[in-house]
Amino acid sequence: MEEPPLREEEEEEEEEDEAGPEGALRKSPFQLTAEDVYDISYVVGRELMALGSDPRVTQLQFKIVRVLEMLETLVSEGSLAAEELRMERDSLRKEVEGLRREGAAASPEGSLGPGKMMVDLTDPNRPRFTLQELRDVLQERNKLKAQLLLAQEELQCYKSGLIPAREGPEGRRGKDTMVARASNASRDKEEKTIIRKL
Amino acid sequence: MAKKTYDLLFKLLLIGDSGVGKTCVLFRFSDDAFNTTFISTIGIDFKIKTVELQGKKIKLQIWDTAGQERFHTITTSYYRGAMGIMLVYDITNGKSFENISKWLRNIDEHANEDVERMLLGNKCDMEDKRVVPKGKGEQIAREHGIRFFETSAKANINIEKAFLTLAEDILRKTPVKEPNSENVDISSGGGVTGWKSKCC
Repeated sequence: MEEPPLREEEEEEEEEDEAGPEGALRKSPFQLTAEDVYDISYVVGRELMALGSDPRVTQLQFKIVRVLEMLETLVSEGSLAAEELRMERDSLRKEVEGLRREGAAASPEGSLGPGKMMVDLTDPNRPRFTLQELRDVLQERNKLKAQLLLAQEELQCYKSGLIPAREGPEGRRGKDTMVARASNASRDKEEKTIIRKL
Repeated sequence: MAKKTYDLLFKLLLIGDSGVGKTCVLFRFSDDAFNTTFISTIGIDFKIKTVELQGKKIKLQIWDTAGQERFHTITTSYYRGAMGIMLVYDITNGKSFENISKWLRNIDEHANEDVERMLLGNKCDMEDKRVVPKGKGEQIAREHGIRFFETSAKANINIEKAFLTLAEDILRKTPVKEPNSENVDISSGGGVTGWKSKCC
């Protein structure tokens, strides 16, 4: 009555993590870990205990313990070596990728010919504007600067009272529109001369 | 009601190797200030300063160029409009002096034939680091028939004198003309006379 449920439990465990104490015995020796060796020693120990306290069993037990210790050492060494190899493999893989990228960058450079330049598209500071664009931006900046200077000059004139802000009531409207027209005309003129630039 | 802001507009241009102090020379003249931090000029910039010479108000529109080779095509397009060109070198930088002939050739190629030229040996306050003797500057200027000053934007030596002398030289050969309604345009080439405005 007791045994079948126990087996079921064991099988369930195996199904769940494939590594019950018994499962360790079915593993490939190349995948064996120190943990598996402890599982094996647990299983073997349990079965030896079941054989009773015969001195021959005790003798055998010592030898088995020794063999398991040797196995544990080999497995630990093996996993360390495997880990080292894995790391070496990863670093070599990275190196190869780097060289491959360099090679890809270098080979078209060779076919670019003299006077050509490679651009790294991932470089945030890569050149990406044309001389004409720079020229336009500078021209616009200088145009705005010229306008600012003119406006400042005009403001200074108003501040120093050289241009009266208010005229007398008679003819004021007429004069204002004249001034507005004159400044519009000058602005138009300026824009034209700016456009004329280059 | 209509008063003019100025009688004449002179367009000047500063050229020379990167780092010789063109921007500092201009900044000293226009704002009477000096800044030790080196910020390379991007392409081209300008400042305006009005001076009075022989009873005439002269608006100086001074273009400051980037000395770096990569801006060359942009800067040379501004030579054409210049009436006066200041070629600046650094007395502590032998290379900048050697390059004078290169800059003079640029002037020949891109500027007006009658452009007034001037040579400036800047940073003359740094006597301990001088590598270009004053005599060498004077000699090359004499060879090319142009004026020469040693200047210091930092110590404010000869800066105003250089600009005023250049303006005077341009004024001397400017035909007396009725000022017309030419504006302060920022175009290269164009008029000498100033826009008659309603102020100042």
